[in-house]
Amino acid sequence: MKAITKLLTAIMLAGVAATSATSAMADGAKIFVIGGKADDPFWSKVKKGADDAGKVAELTGGSVTWLGPQNYDNLGPDAAKLIRTALSQKPSAIVGPDWVPEAMDDAFKEVVAAGVPLIIYNSGGMDAAKRLGAMNYVGNEEYAAGLGGGTYYGSHGSKNVLCVNTLPGATNTEDRCKGIADAITKSGGKSTQLPLPSSSFGNPTAVAEAIKAAVLKDNTIDGVITISAGDANSAANAISQANAGDKVKLASFDMDETGLQRIKAGTQMFAVDQQPYLQGYLAVSLLNGFANYGLDLPTKPVLTGPGIVDAANVDATMAGAAAGAR
Amino acid sequence: MTSQAHDQLAAATTAPLSQRSSMPSIGSLVRRPEVGSLIGMIAVLFFFSIFGGANFMSSGGAASWLNVASELGIIALPIGLLMIAGHLDLSVGSMVPASSMTIAILSGHYGLPIIVGILAALGLGLAVGFVNGVLVIRTKVPSFVVTLATLFALAGLTLGLSVILSGSTSVALKSGPIAKLLFGDYLGGKFEVTLFWWIAAILIVGFILNFSRFGNWILAMGGDAVSARNAGIPTDRVTIALFMSSGLCASFVGMSQAILYNSAQVAAGQSFIFNSIIAVVIGGVLLTGGYGSVVGIVLGTLTFAIVNQGIFYTGFDANWASLIIGVLLLAAVLMNNTFRTMALTYAPRTKLSARR
Repeated sequence: MKAITKLLTAIMLAGVAATSATSAMADGAKIFVIGGKADDPFWSKVKKGADDAGKVAELTGGSVTWLGPQNYDNLGPDAAKLIRTALSQKPSAIVGPDWVPEAMDDAFKEVVAAGVPLIIYNSGGMDAAKRLGAMNYVGNEEYAAGLGGGTYYGSHGSKNVLCVNTLPGATNTEDRCKGIADAITKSGGKSTQLPLPSSSFGNPTAVAEAIKAAVLKDNTIDGVITISAGDANSAANAISQANAGDKVKLASFDMDETGLQRIKAGTQMFAVDQQPYLQGYLAVSLLNGFANYGLDLPTKPVLTGPGIVDAANVDATMAGAAAGAR
Repeated sequence: MTSQAHDQLAAATTAPLSQRSSMPSIGSLVRRPEVGSLIGMIAVLFFFSIFGGANFMSSGGAASWLNVASELGIIALPIGLLMIAGHLDLSVGSMVPASSMTIAILSGHYGLPIIVGILAALGLGLAVGFVNGVLVIRTKVPSFVVTLATLFALAGLTLGLSVILSGSTSVALKSGPIAKLLFGDYLGGKFEVTLFWWIAAILIVGFILNFSRFGNWILAMGGDAVSARNAGIPTDRVTIALFMSSGLCASFVGMSQAILYNSAQVAAGQSFIFNSIIAVVIGGVLLTGGYGSVVGIVLGTLTFAIVNQGIFYTGFDANWASLIIGVLLLAAVLMNNTFRTMALTYAPRTKLSARR
């Protein structure tokens, strides 16, 4: 009985979606984007990308609507509700991150069952996109980001890189350090991880002094990369205290204004950027092209990172940061 | 405890502690409560000088733990006074980032003169301390709960306002050479100038606790708050002053860290809550109040900093750092307790004055 009801609902929803899709065809694509809070510094860049891509959709009579939670206290269920809210408005396509698969996968499956084109972006990876039947994944993969950073180090002659992990044990930070290590090993060097205890977390001096100690202890270290932009500020002080600025090249995952200024001044070699703007921009553009013209990109997944910011492109990056896109 | 509190009550209305002690003999020095903390510190220093190698003993190695100790120590001193008076202040964990963000937003984001940012940050610390103190007095709710509430409230306020005002949770700050020299520079490329601020704070707090009536009032309040008030001590004023001093010191550390690291993050500082309490407890201050000394707090802070940073000079796998920190801290506290018990239960054979 239950299975039959489910089937009927699915057919009904599919029917509704089909009619809405045809009507949407006439006045352009109605795209719904599920994302973080718009005032979150990271998500404001994703939103800017989605909004900019939305201008193209608007030219053809379509629209892009951003749906974000009020807060992150109950992220999974709240995001699942947002997906259902989007679905109830007869969308031409939906973009969403798979933050909490347990809570959100059912809602995503309803989207696919209703015949609405879906792209997973920002988190979940291609695995989530395949599992849910989504068209594509647009975003970053932490291990690939680590590989990108490690390759850059390798091609610039670094042989022993310290990966400073202030959140040891977390999957994403461990993946970043592992990527660094694997890429450097390939170019004949090595990378060790420096896991810092929780009694150091959030205290830049404790982090800086720990990095200084590690650099002093092993004088073959010629590179230090931190898992966050804030930790790079500590690492910069550590390197100058250890008087190793000529030898030890600093880098970071993600970046902030202070880090960009360091790259410009030459005291930091590079930053690994996951380019959040592109996540919003590409996901919306891909869906707009599909909904209007049936375009489908064969490249799957679409990785927006790692982008490398170094002395060569730091000026352009700073201009982008001032515009709210970097 | 009670008899000690009564001694202090008697003293509160008479002369400060320092004027009552007789000439110290070697025996009385060994029985001083700080000896446990001193031995604890020497033990961990010895431990890391063996396992830490030449780098740990170099000036760079010493700077490693002195820099961490000086920032922690500036907060631990007023926290120690509060704990001696029978209170706790958890809100320092949010005060540090709140102060960092205040100066970074005012002087970094809006480009106001650095002195405006510094004064606003320190003023915020005093204001939060004042609110803490008034809430504790008026509500009679334990300060643990009151400051836990202000810890969260202030963290939320900092995050919310930072995002509204600067659109970011991380703000860059460029400060001039004078501000850098005073608050955020390294002497000889290694020692933070904060070290001198810590020494100044030690001298000030040491004077207050040992040579002023105010110090006696603090000890008496921690021993027995009701009797202290009955004896004519303005306990409300003392409580508010103590919370304002911890707010001020926490905001000082946040402010100087922002200048030192040229930036401020919303998610920082929480580790100062437990680290400051740990440092104070290692230093021999009782969690229940009424007992403690400035020398002890300083030694406790140094011990904690040595253990926390020394680990990175050793060849140990850093994954075990937290375990080793925990074990060494427990050993230091146990050693301390043994000596304090010895000091307190010692019965003088000849004269009564040897008791202190």
